[in-house]
Amino acid sequence: MTTALSIEHLSISFGGLKALDDLSFAIEENQIYGLIGPNGAGKTTVFNCVTQFYKPDQGRVLFTADPDRLGRWTKKAVPSGDGRAVIDLVGLPVHEIIRFGLVRTFQNVEVVPELTLADNVLLGGHVDFKATMAEQMLRLPRARREEKAYRAKALDVLGFLGIAGLANQPAGGQPYGVLKKLEMARTLMAEPRLIILDEPAAGLNDSETEDLAALIRHIRDQYQAAILLVEHDMRLVMSVCERICAISFGKFLAEGAPADIQRDKLVQEAYLGEQE
Amino acid sequence: MTTATPARTAAPTKGLASRLLHNAHAQFLVFGLLLCLLPSLGSALGLKASTLQTLGFVLIYSIAALGLNLLLGYSGLVSLGTSGFMGLGAYLAAYLQDDLGLGFWCGVLAAVVIPTVVGLLVGVVSLRIRGIYLAIVTLCVSEILLKTFEQLEWFTKGTAGKQSHYPSLFGFQTGRASMFVVCAVALVLVMMLTHNTVHGQLGRALHAMRSSEVAARAMGVNILKYKLFAFALATAYAGLAGALYLFFLKSSYPSTWNLFLSLNVIAMVVVGGLRSIFGTVAGAFIIFAVPELVLKKLPVIGDVSGLPYIFSGILIILVIMFFPQGMKGVADLVRRPFQRRPASGKGAPA
Repeated sequence: MTTALSIEHLSISFGGLKALDDLSFAIEENQIYGLIGPNGAGKTTVFNCVTQFYKPDQGRVLFTADPDRLGRWTKKAVPSGDGRAVIDLVGLPVHEIIRFGLVRTFQNVEVVPELTLADNVLLGGHVDFKATMAEQMLRLPRARREEKAYRAKALDVLGFLGIAGLANQPAGGQPYGVLKKLEMARTLMAEPRLIILDEPAAGLNDSETEDLAALIRHIRDQYQAAILLVEHDMRLVMSVCERICAISFGKFLAEGAPADIQRDKLVQEAYLGEQE
Repeated sequence: MTTATPARTAAPTKGLASRLLHNAHAQFLVFGLLLCLLPSLGSALGLKASTLQTLGFVLIYSIAALGLNLLLGYSGLVSLGTSGFMGLGAYLAAYLQDDLGLGFWCGVLAAVVIPTVVGLLVGVVSLRIRGIYLAIVTLCVSEILLKTFEQLEWFTKGTAGKQSHYPSLFGFQTGRASMFVVCAVALVLVMMLTHNTVHGQLGRALHAMRSSEVAARAMGVNILKYKLFAFALATAYAGLAGALYLFFLKSSYPSTWNLFLSLNVIAMVVVGGLRSIFGTVAGAFIIFAVPELVLKKLPVIGDVSGLPYIFSGILIILVIMFFPQGMKGVADLVRRPFQRRPASGKGAPA
């Protein structure tokens, strides 16, 4: 199996606080991977270091991408031997990351309320558009063609998630469940190799969380993408993840299958405090 | 109403007339055609020359207001500098046409290109600034331009005012009526350009930028690029509006290009409706033409000095309180009883 994302010796500090300390883990392709830890463990920091919202002080974030998606970063990448290429994301501009097929959702659902569901999904395909600004402003054939083709693709994605009927409704005012699906749809529009979900179970009840687990597996199977789940909700993590990494205070605690993690002494201590 | 039929799509069974009615570009063309007919129809119907003059300014302010709507409405960027860039466009047009004798087209070109370059520079400098601070920076630029207009006598004739004349176009000497038509054509082109800009990838990027910069960046939107784009297009529109203003009024005084004009353009956008193209034109009409054509002719109230500003002020408060979507919201409200399906209805399939 090929590695989708490999984090190596990642460290970052804010002022005197070491938010991440020499953290390493790797996610295989098509794997559903969980990143857990108590409050303040640095989960979100890992996330932001991967997507380059934060620039780590040390370490590498190696992502395996299709060579034809590298664009002007081709020189920065190293061929991986199996026709893919490995690129270190550290230092790249935030808006370039999605290009390689690495895309995220937001904990508090960041969609554009004024745009329709279809247009929100199309935002996920932003980097695919080849027509220049001038071509779009003059509605030249290439711009029209692209818009039409990608709109059809966006409708397909909405259909996959069962909300195609709402495609032309504005996102503002839609129920929370629809907005969560909309965010998922937007990531799928980007033809992801790795999707990072930031606490997707936040605000969901038990049955909704079960639906979400099924949806996550369904997405992985249909779109052949790896999924990194950064999550608080243990039920979701334990039911859906194939492998889990636990961290605490920015440090690596344990990695393994869900059952191993549940049994792990260090993890139990971190979550429940020392038991003497 | 969750059992409703799936959302209506653009069904090919609908009649040609209905399809034309829903095509934005067809709407713009019809609107432009009506505007172009206005001067000749108006003189037949006894429309006063001063009224035509006022309506001409509405068209010109609409162009500048559409630019501001791109910034304020779509991109979420505040600018108080519209008047400065309009003035720069006006003086450049006058300088190239009258002082250098290069004619109308060179004047308009310079009036669009040079303010755009200045706008881009301001954009680059103020990219890390948001909200009220961006407003302050643009206000400063505008005030610097205003002082320059007052002092740079060889270019602007200072406070004495720059005089110009109606341009000749394609060998045809224009007058008030034909310049009105030129303004109408320019406005319709700007409306079409704006419509194309805000629909499609470009517009979605601006929307995303306004809604959440973090989310926009994660979706691959280069914030720098789109902020500069919005700034450049808004200043280009302002420059064009300035040039048309000069050719329509045949003079320009520095005092025209003060903060009050910028505030009035903001009022046009807010009253007309953020992110609405026809709304912006309606806003320009309400803010500029209503005080001129109606209020000033009323007894007692008409004599109050500063009446247009009082009017815009009250109107902005009322619009923000009751119609946050501006005239677009009012239009939707009027249209609602005539629609088959409530606008908020869900078209979810069973």
